[in-house]
Amino acid sequence: MTDPANDFIRDYQALAQQSWDAWSRQFQPQPAANPFAPPPAPVAGNDMLERALTGLKGYFDWMQAAAAGSTAPQPGSDWRQQLQQMFGGTSQPFAQAFGGIDSAGAEGFARQWQSWLQAAQHGGFGDLPGAYGPTPAFGLNREQQMQQQVLATALLEAMQASARYQELIQRANAQGMQHLQEKLAQHAEPDRQIDSLKGLYDLWVDASEQAYAEIALSDEFREVYGEMVNTQMRVRKLQQQQTEQLCQQLGVPTRSEVSSLGERLQALRRELAALKRQLAGKQATAPAKAAPAKPAAAAKKAPAKAARKPAAASVPGPRKRQ
Amino acid sequence: MQTPLSIDPARVLADIATFQRKLAAGMGLLRDMHEPEYANTPRELVYSEDKLKVWHFTGHVKASSKTPLLIVYALVNTVWMTDLQADRSMVRNLLEQGEDVYLIDWGYPDGADRWLTLDDYINGYLDRCVDAVRERHGLDAINLLGICQGGTFSLCYTALHPDKVKNLVTMVTPVDFHTPDNMLSGWCRNMDVDLFVDTMGNIPAGLMNYVYLTLKPLRLNQQKYIGLVDILDNPVELENFLRMERWIFDSPDQAGEAFRQFIKDFYQGNKLVKGTLEIGGQAVDLGMVTQPVLNIFAEQDHLVPPDASRALGKHVGSTDYTQLAFKGGHIGIYVSGRAQREVPPAIHQWLRQRD
Repeated sequence: MTDPANDFIRDYQALAQQSWDAWSRQFQPQPAANPFAPPPAPVAGNDMLERALTGLKGYFDWMQAAAAGSTAPQPGSDWRQQLQQMFGGTSQPFAQAFGGIDSAGAEGFARQWQSWLQAAQHGGFGDLPGAYGPTPAFGLNREQQMQQQVLATALLEAMQASARYQELIQRANAQGMQHLQEKLAQHAEPDRQIDSLKGLYDLWVDASEQAYAEIALSDEFREVYGEMVNTQMRVRKLQQQQTEQLCQQLGVPTRSEVSSLGERLQALRRELAALKRQLAGKQATAPAKAAPAKPAAAAKKAPAKAARKPAAASVPGPRKRQ
Repeated sequence: MQTPLSIDPARVLADIATFQRKLAAGMGLLRDMHEPEYANTPRELVYSEDKLKVWHFTGHVKASSKTPLLIVYALVNTVWMTDLQADRSMVRNLLEQGEDVYLIDWGYPDGADRWLTLDDYINGYLDRCVDAVRERHGLDAINLLGICQGGTFSLCYTALHPDKVKNLVTMVTPVDFHTPDNMLSGWCRNMDVDLFVDTMGNIPAGLMNYVYLTLKPLRLNQQKYIGLVDILDNPVELENFLRMERWIFDSPDQAGEAFRQFIKDFYQGNKLVKGTLEIGGQAVDLGMVTQPVLNIFAEQDHLVPPDASRALGKHVGSTDYTQLAFKGGHIGIYVSGRAQREVPPAIHQWLRQRD
């Protein structure tokens, strides 16, 4: 037997979903003209769009679920249970409030690990070397084997640190729900009830951010966060070392070499600037000795000389990064 | 006990319909929207070096102040927050008050700038910018207005070169980096910053932005964009939103060495208030800052907590110290309507009394 009310909601949801999909497609990067070309790499400019669409989609899905009636709060029922269904169920779009805060802008460490692991496995290393502890290495490729073991160990440590971080994030999610219940309990009077999904959503954000801030300011978070960053950097450093060794074998200049040159050059520039300052100081005092009658005026007109360039004739607008 | 939720299913459907309608309207508007311009207050280039530029703003009102004001911005993000749009421009507002305004645009560091140190920035670049402005005006000392990290730089500079600064204004400036509510400080306290910089070289802007977003992840990654839907059918507000997005995400990388020192000495060591800071081998003593100081901070600042700025009053050597609390956040202090009404006039009045 058909249920006209539910049919309407289902039809409406389908229509709304089509509309959402159309909106999303509108702002997705167009596929490359060459069907064999790889998909375009994510660029910084798309990060905002990605974030915006992800956030909007989560909110949209949540509203849809509420509209379907299965999770909409019913008068007279246990509101805490309804709340759990709306925010806490594993299938709910907001169940992992802080779980998706990684983004392309964060350099996607997880993606780096995956691609590196895949490359290592395709290169014949098989399972993670060193994953079960360091083992002795022998022969011509001894050094490479040892390096792979060190890298594998570093990868595991980074994953463990990341897991600890995720545990804290999950704790923030759980505490956010508790805070939401506490905040809602203050809205029980008839004139203070929450009467819109947006109102409920905003309250949930307040509660979740409060829980997140409590954890993010804790000593435990500080320690875990530092460990996560440090282990990730260790992995990246080892990857760079291996890449540089390969470049050296191929006769390609490495970043370390370029960086060393930059360091020496900057040291020379610093010395040159100091010498210029000394010279300017001597030049400034020389005329004062020759013409002691007007020292104050001379000093007033010519404070420390700057290496100055002439003013530009036109006024360009603020520029984008080149 | 009554349920706190009284959500009418019909209203839920109506809300979804409104959401859909605004999305549909936004589809057309966003497609035709061009990159929003900043205010572009007329200006002339008066000094440049490497990627740095010093701009002199040329307003319609002739400057009534005798002493020029040089704005020292932070290395993070771009200086155009001070001149965001015509009706939200601190620079334009200061000009209209009668100030003679200069601004240091640090530019976008690349690999060639990897080894720039805080000494290079403060005793090098900043000192030469100050000299350039002093020379233009034939003055021994000028006024400085330091913003955020630029305020910290200005404090160090004034302590090291006290003869070249007449009055100092600091805005949302961190001084005590170890206040308990400083989330950024907590996060980098256990970081091995040597490993970090040795590995990353320059610190990518995208990574910096990511960290800032995770200070309030739900508000900044989701709620903000849900709020965007409400203005998708309003071209003016949408343009304002996109302009702010441009400013937030079009930001420079950080020169590796300067970043290393800033994290180590300020965020981790808190040396500015401990009195153990050295820049280029010279001790930085806030007690040496005896010039008049106006310290403005934002009461709802999530990046630089108010107490981190308030601490200046306890450490500065000046006997003419003024503190101004602004009701707003780290960005609102430049661009909100309240800021336009309150902040530039307050700065001008304070400077005028000491001109």
